[in-house]
Amino acid sequence: MIFSPYFYVQAIKLALSQIWANRKRSLLTSLGIIVGVASTTSVIAALSGLKANVLSEFESFGANRLYVFPDRPDDKPRNLYPREKIRIKPWEVVEIQASCPSLRAITPVTEFGVSAASEQKELEGVTVVGIWPDWHEAENRNVIAGRIFNRIDEESARQVCLLNQAAIDELRLPAEAVGSHILLDGRRFLVVGIIETLQSKMFGDGGNTAEIFIPFSLAMKLQSSDVFIRVTALARSTELSEEARSEITQTMRRIRGIHPGDSDTFQVVAIDQYIEQFKSLAAGITAIAAGIVGISLLVGGIGIMNIMLVSVSERTREIGLRKAVGATPAAIMMQFLLEAMVLCLAGGLVGVLLGKIFAIGLTMIPGVQLQHADVPLWAVLLSFAFSAIVGLGFGFFPALKAARLDPIEALRHE
Amino acid sequence: MIRVRSLRKIYRVGEEEIHALRGVDLDIGKNEMVAVMGASGSGKSTLMNIIGCLDQPTDGSYELDGRRVAQMSEAALAVVRNEKIGFVFQSFELLARQTALENVELPLIYSREVGLTAHERTRRALAALERVKLSDRVTHRPNQLSGGQKQRVAIARAILNHPAILMADEPTGNLDSVTTQEVMRIFQQLHAEGQTVLIVTHENDVAAFCQRVIRLRDGLVLSDLSIEQDLAGQQRR
Ligand SMILES: Nc1ncnc2c1ncn2[C@@H]1O[C@H](COP(=O)(O)OP(=O)(O)OP(=O)(O)O)[C@@H](O)[C@H]1O
Ligand SMILES: [Mg+2]
Repeated sequence: MIFSPYFYVQAIKLALSQIWANRKRSLLTSLGIIVGVASTTSVIAALSGLKANVLSEFESFGANRLYVFPDRPDDKPRNLYPREKIRIKPWEVVEIQASCPSLRAITPVTEFGVSAASEQKELEGVTVVGIWPDWHEAENRNVIAGRIFNRIDEESARQVCLLNQAAIDELRLPAEAVGSHILLDGRRFLVVGIIETLQSKMFGDGGNTAEIFIPFSLAMKLQSSDVFIRVTALARSTELSEEARSEITQTMRRIRGIHPGDSDTFQVVAIDQYIEQFKSLAAGITAIAAGIVGISLLVGGIGIMNIMLVSVSERTREIGLRKAVGATPAAIMMQFLLEAMVLCLAGGLVGVLLGKIFAIGLTMIPGVQLQHADVPLWAVLLSFAFSAIVGLGFGFFPALKAARLDPIEALRHE
Repeated sequence: MIRVRSLRKIYRVGEEEIHALRGVDLDIGKNEMVAVMGASGSGKSTLMNIIGCLDQPTDGSYELDGRRVAQMSEAALAVVRNEKIGFVFQSFELLARQTALENVELPLIYSREVGLTAHERTRRALAALERVKLSDRVTHRPNQLSGGQKQRVAIARAILNHPAILMADEPTGNLDSVTTQEVMRIFQQLHAEGQTVLIVTHENDVAAFCQRVIRLRDGLVLSDLSIEQDLAGQQRR
């Protein structure tokens, strides 16, 4: 059945005037839909803000970065894989560097605790990190004063170190710390460079912890036993990070002589994996939110059905008259369906506006990093689509009731 | 124009059968003005509803303007009502929140005519209001109109689509004698302009505006006479 544009204009006008004439009732009726849409769009807005933040955080962190850790297969007895066997050895890192063309930079990293002392101050339990010169490129952190380690530092295990600002402050070193000496476990180290503070807000501590770096070869010598080595590497581009991952995996399996079908004794983790994981987590939460809106819209829909039934019986005479002047059952049906849909869409609109206000509120809370919280267009469209479907679904029965009214009986009504 | 043969209408209320029409034969020609009279319960409204395509007969045939209307589908009947029939009710049946003009325009919402402009709709509605002499009450709402004016708005709505027949079931039942005259003069004038009119009434004063009187009793046509003959018969009794 096709109706003229005029029919639709009049039907929607009538629907709006009905809603306006019964505005209190309409508001109460569409409360379910308003609350459902508002809460869901708020959750989606918060999530989108969180996502924008986390993703940009990941990006600044370097989506093309990879890490290699020793890893004991879960499905095998522990005693088959002693720590000694799965530990990453320095020569393995050298081998990875030689056989993985997709890598731009690679460095082993080993950490251990020492006591650190300057002329002014003595600190216990300070973490010292052993690195290759490549570390700066792999971690994208450079020196802001002095120099980085060179090959001679590494090969001859010279007693040189890099500090960050927090370490300089804690050790009460002069502002121009390059050239000063510090003691690490009683050994004299020359400060050759100041390293820039970690930029990440969300990961790490924003540079509040003292960091001391020494050449990797020296760090190996200074640790007595049970040395834990991990590897940080950088793929040539984000696109190549998956390629780099499989190159590293293959190299490690080859040099460790792992038979096909046997589990890896190490783990290669790429940051972009985390991004994918986070994205799917966010998608999961979004789906749950959508499920909640589904339920609340269902509840709202029952209210809509109820009020539409009331509306049909209140306007029985009017329906009779419309039929008498030529409205077909289909026209009456369409008119009431439109009215239910307009009611739901109005509720959806209020809900979206509330969600939007809530999102703006989120961006203004200091300390909560949701500056990018916003209701995305797809959520707005989805809310309207859901509202329209609820109107259609729950308006159907009342509309059918109206369409089936007998004109004479309707005109005789009360 | 209207041709009704052995029309029957049986209402079923539970076990009981009510024979509202028991075989009515009726012909109404173009541009006639006919009154239908009879005691309460004699079947006047039932007959009007069938002729007005608001209801279907149980049996018998009905031709309107050459088309067999009995046994048409509900949707087809709606189209006939929209295009061929103008119905005026005792209690006006105006939409309270709409102006006189909007009330008159109502049938156009359901019109099959495509491409009607807003201007054309307004023009037609204004013309109809003009014919019932209400050009000065266009933007009034029903609660701002007198009973007679309300009924004239309802008449304007009924004649909007130039129906083959204008029907009214006790159009003056809710009006005093002065406004009855006012409304009946409108019917009379429309008749003078060529409109076919069919009016149900209990009042001789109303029937006096018509040319022909059909009297029903117990679902049958009792008499079908010219107004003069009918009045003469009334006086003799
Ligand atoms: N919907 C219905 N169901 C059952 N019986 C009905 C129905 N409508 C009318 N009747 C019966 O049919 C008969 C004719 O009714 P109708 O309304 O046609 O009378 P009428 O001549 O218009 O009377 P009035 O002058 O009081 O309006 C009456 O006996 C009435 O009770
Ligand atoms: Mg009657």
